[in-house]
Amino acid sequence: MKRRRVFVVGILVGAILVGAVVSIVTTPELPETSTNVEAWMQPHTAWGDPDFQGVWRYEATIPLERPREYEGRAFLTDEEVEDIARVEQELSANRLAGFEGAAVGRRTLSESPIRGNEYNSFWQYHGRARQAYRQTSLITDPPNGRLPYTEDARQAAARSTARYGVGPYESYLDPDTGERCLTDGVTATMWQGPNGGHNRIVQSPGYVTIVHEEYQDRRIIPVDGGSHRGIPQWLGDSVGHWEGDTLVVETTNFSNKMHYEWANIWTRVSDTLRLVERFQRVGPDTMEYTITVDDPKTFTTPWTAVVPILRLPDNTQIYEYACHEGNYALSNILSAGRAIAADE
Amino acid sequence: MQQGPQRSSVTVVTAVAAVIVVYGSPLWGQAVDYVAPRTVAGWPDLNGVWQALNTANYDIQAHPARPALALVPAPPSTTAPPGTDWAIPGELPAPAVRALGAVGGVPAGEGVVVGNEIPYQPWAALIKQENAENWLERDPEIKCYLPGVPRATYMPYPFQILQGVDKILIAYEFAGATRTIHMDDVGNSPGPTWMGWSRGRWEGETLVVDVTGFNGQTWFDRAGNFHSDALHVTERYTPISPNHLIYEATIEDPNVFTESWTIEMPLYRRLETDKRLLEYECVEFVEQLMYGELGVFDPADGQRGE
Repeated sequence: MKRRRVFVVGILVGAILVGAVVSIVTTPELPETSTNVEAWMQPHTAWGDPDFQGVWRYEATIPLERPREYEGRAFLTDEEVEDIARVEQELSANRLAGFEGAAVGRRTLSESPIRGNEYNSFWQYHGRARQAYRQTSLITDPPNGRLPYTEDARQAAARSTARYGVGPYESYLDPDTGERCLTDGVTATMWQGPNGGHNRIVQSPGYVTIVHEEYQDRRIIPVDGGSHRGIPQWLGDSVGHWEGDTLVVETTNFSNKMHYEWANIWTRVSDTLRLVERFQRVGPDTMEYTITVDDPKTFTTPWTAVVPILRLPDNTQIYEYACHEGNYALSNILSAGRAIAADE
Repeated sequence: MQQGPQRSSVTVVTAVAAVIVVYGSPLWGQAVDYVAPRTVAGWPDLNGVWQALNTANYDIQAHPARPALALVPAPPSTTAPPGTDWAIPGELPAPAVRALGAVGGVPAGEGVVVGNEIPYQPWAALIKQENAENWLERDPEIKCYLPGVPRATYMPYPFQILQGVDKILIAYEFAGATRTIHMDDVGNSPGPTWMGWSRGRWEGETLVVDVTGFNGQTWFDRAGNFHSDALHVTERYTPISPNHLIYEATIEDPNVFTESWTIEMPLYRRLETDKRLLEYECVEFVEQLMYGELGVFDPADGQRGE
């Protein structure tokens, strides 16, 4: 049993490598945060819309869900924040020095568990220390900072987690939609992405377009009062409007194709999902992104996350993410699955 | 030279007529004196959803109609009695596509290559022929791979130009491919890609895009026309009316061709009210084709085993 597990997991690591073709961080230094944030004014495009253009990325340490150790506390103390910031600085220095496993303070492959922040996590390297915040979870509602799963979804999440990297992988439908090079869904595109999570925002009159590097997810959002189309799609159907300097985007009409057993449960979309997102710049380099996720098929109540997202320097590029074109991992996973089945 | 809208449309009609008469001549840009509306920033406004209306994705060269994309030779007929001459099929649709009937046929086309000839080096002309004969196995479109440039332009799907200031996005419906046209200085291509590294500039009314950094794995059409990773495409998008662009692409690839060559075609604005791109996420559509037989069970065969 142990041998089999290591085998399949090794292939999955290969999948991660293939997926991460070109998303190497190329922005070693961030600009000095303006010392004069109070004087900062929201810039506008030539046609008068609030200007969000540039490449954005979430680079903070706040977990989605509140860790058990912080139960009952929405915020850390200043000392705790300083401590996290110090650890991040150390890890960043270790990574720059090239230590394997530095992401989690491990020094060798043998100390490194495959799951989680493993030696392979250099793909997620931000090129600099992550920012520490007082928030103990991105989720601000429900107040306990935890995903309000339905009982069914909780069980599905447990099964999915237990199965990830273990299998069995019997057909191309068994890996999750990310491993199939389709999408990880819209929910976390603004702040997640194992290989970067970079988003480029380009605005043109009447549209805000978000190009998410991973899976080349693309959202062309009409912002001048258009209507929903009613056509189910993987990324749904987004319609936006401005409330002052805040962009509000409502998304519905998701196809039900991610709602299956082995999907990543909290980001899976189903035909009952509705998203409301609010994009608000709070300074020259920071956006406060708020997302409310309402999906009775997975959650007992809507939940809301508030995410600080960083604007990267103007010369930051996002690159082609040709995942499907290089998805040797999927055929390798399947042939490994056959070999294992033949063994048993 | 400022022109009124009425005169512009007359000019356009004349220009289109001229091009129809003079087959294959690169007259579009020279014959048309249209001045496009400007964006707030002062550049020609190319925003909108556009689409080619031709058969270039079947074959960029002139071609007659034929029964299917994949053909096989007809089996030899039984001997006709002396003095008779039975009709025999030349080529038949390959078994894999036969059931499609007329839906699977290839419409004829006058071609989009200026002068119609593609100056292949001799070895490359043989590869092109081989590609055509093995189309079902080789065309990257079948596997939903990113289509490359210029092919993405004339696939039978709309695309949208989203015109920022430093960046212009071209969002294609097929495979959700997106190109960023860098209007600012971003240096050379960082590495080989499917869709290339696009750097743009304005020349009068024309958006000129210099595309390099290809990986050599994309094709020009379903006829097996191909290139290497040395491909360099220079695209020119020129508005000739509020609802038409002329698209020209000059193809250079010293590894495959003896000289540069050019394609050109009109692009048409999709005039539906509030037209939007929809998803054509074809990765999902080809999974069974690419991976079905590799698993312990094939979803196409029905239920999971045991």
